[in-house]
Amino acid sequence: MTAQTITSQRRDELAAMDMRDAFFDEIYRIARDDSSVVFLTDDMDAFSLRRFKKDMPDQFLNIGVAEQNLINLSAGLAMSGKQVFAYGIAPFVTMRCFEQIKVNICSMRLPVTIVGVGAGFSFEFDGPTHHGIHDVPIMRAIPEMNIYNPSDAASAEGIAKRVHVAGEPAYVRIDKGTFPVLMSTEDDFSSGYRIINPPGDVTVVATGYMSSRIAGVLSKLGSDGEDIGLVDLYRLKPLDQKFVADVIEPSKTVITLEESSISGGIGTIVAELIAEGDSHTKLIRLGAEDRQFIQYGTREWFHSINGIDDESLAKTLRQALK
Amino acid sequence: MNPPLSITDLEDKARWVRLQSLEATVRAGKGHLGGTYSCTDLLVALYYADILNLDPADPDDSARDRFLIGKGHACLALYSIFKDKGMISQAVFEEFGVSGGALGGQLDTSTPGVEYNTGSLGHVLGIGAGIALAARMDKAAFKAFVVLGDAECYEGSIWEAIVFAGDQQLSGLVGIIDRNRLSVTDTLDDDTFFNEFPNKVRSFGWDCIEINGHNFDEILAAFESAKQSSKPVMILANTIKGKGVSFMEGGVKWHHSVPSGKELDIARSELSSSAAS
Repeated sequence: MTAQTITSQRRDELAAMDMRDAFFDEIYRIARDDSSVVFLTDDMDAFSLRRFKKDMPDQFLNIGVAEQNLINLSAGLAMSGKQVFAYGIAPFVTMRCFEQIKVNICSMRLPVTIVGVGAGFSFEFDGPTHHGIHDVPIMRAIPEMNIYNPSDAASAEGIAKRVHVAGEPAYVRIDKGTFPVLMSTEDDFSSGYRIINPPGDVTVVATGYMSSRIAGVLSKLGSDGEDIGLVDLYRLKPLDQKFVADVIEPSKTVITLEESSISGGIGTIVAELIAEGDSHTKLIRLGAEDRQFIQYGTREWFHSINGIDDESLAKTLRQALK
Repeated sequence: MNPPLSITDLEDKARWVRLQSLEATVRAGKGHLGGTYSCTDLLVALYYADILNLDPADPDDSARDRFLIGKGHACLALYSIFKDKGMISQAVFEEFGVSGGALGGQLDTSTPGVEYNTGSLGHVLGIGAGIALAARMDKAAFKAFVVLGDAECYEGSIWEAIVFAGDQQLSGLVGIIDRNRLSVTDTLDDDTFFNEFPNKVRSFGWDCIEINGHNFDEILAAFESAKQSSKPVMILANTIKGKGVSFMEGGVKWHHSVPSGKELDIARSELSSSAAS
């Protein structure tokens, strides 16, 4: 099967589209064609949701600031034939209601997609309660959970389609803002990762916002950048077994890069694969330190104190190439 | 479906359910008889008095009423009812307490007729609200009947559900509190919490009906009233932990103890003789 090339017009559209709009507009189209789709929120807004609320009021409900009830309602709806999207701020919709997700959604494998906005340090001045750096590790602890972390409008749109077709428990962590499109061909987003640059001696495995950042850093490194592999891991769980042969084995050094705690996210995932495999691949994990950041600053500032700003990344890559 | 039973038949059925639960507990060497017996009459009314719209031959019918229970440790009463209704076999029933067996100390959806995986308290009222919301969205007639323990009402998520269902006026939601006044380790002399409970719930937009949870006339009247209400309804059923066996009634010990020797003889006798009379 030959993948279809993305037209320049579609590429321009996707690059100009806010990631949240790409995701929610796709959910809008899905809900319009499938009246069993219900969208719940714990009082979290997004511009693109207003159209959903206006055009399909019977399929949309703001249930108020009550995350445990958000998930319990989602479970009851899903048990009664609905496919539910439950939307809120990433740390709150994953941690305040962790047991509800584990027992009431996942143990019964109900078709509920939890959508968390505020990946990483995107709620920059709101302190550690709002940082989305432990949502992925905690969701990873649930066996039945599918975890998605899109990195551009194309993957956000594709993942929306994917979770609807799958009808399984899922967590999607979305970002806000526009991002360059990280692919040249259309994708059905079934494999879980996209190889942007073929794996080399040094390969970066990144996810979400950081995939976009590192692609920008590589483009500025000149010929050095061309030798560095780049893989966008947009589905963190489950991980396709081919990932080991496709990405880890061809690489002498893998650098994992995530805007998430260094403990429990893709750094840990890749560490487990390397530890259990036969390769002697070296691993460098980049992400947020394993602590709560009772600090306030811009997203860029948080990246710099964690060594994942563009300048630090370029330095780390150059060192890894030596 | 069989016609609903008379009050005397219901009382006999409740004794039979208690006896089945006793025998299964003795066989397995484990079980929660106290909290099973306090809600047995409520469960028997739901399943045998034409309260729940359920076809035992088609437990997945999308038009069915949904029954959920938070205190899943009362599972033996339900297993007994499901056996009686032909939804599980005697052989499966006897797997209770067997390692790797079909029936555990909590309910899970692998058993026909079970809607929800129990074990953690405080979730079912919100799930019931979701079911009632789905029914309203689909203009369907089914309701969610949800049994809660009284100790369970200390969970905050119960109150999130009370606020939501009252605000939404979800008339498809019926909560039933098994007010047996005992938790695992203690007596709930929490009258400040429960004396005003009906008014607290009403203030959130619910109907609340307080009844003797062992009197079938009162139980049936409350359920019929709940079915007609335009609001969500909470039935506060005052019950006795261990009800039906004299020495178990009102004792913390019988949350999770297995009778033997003379006590077992007395329990069997009390649960059999009345049924035969």
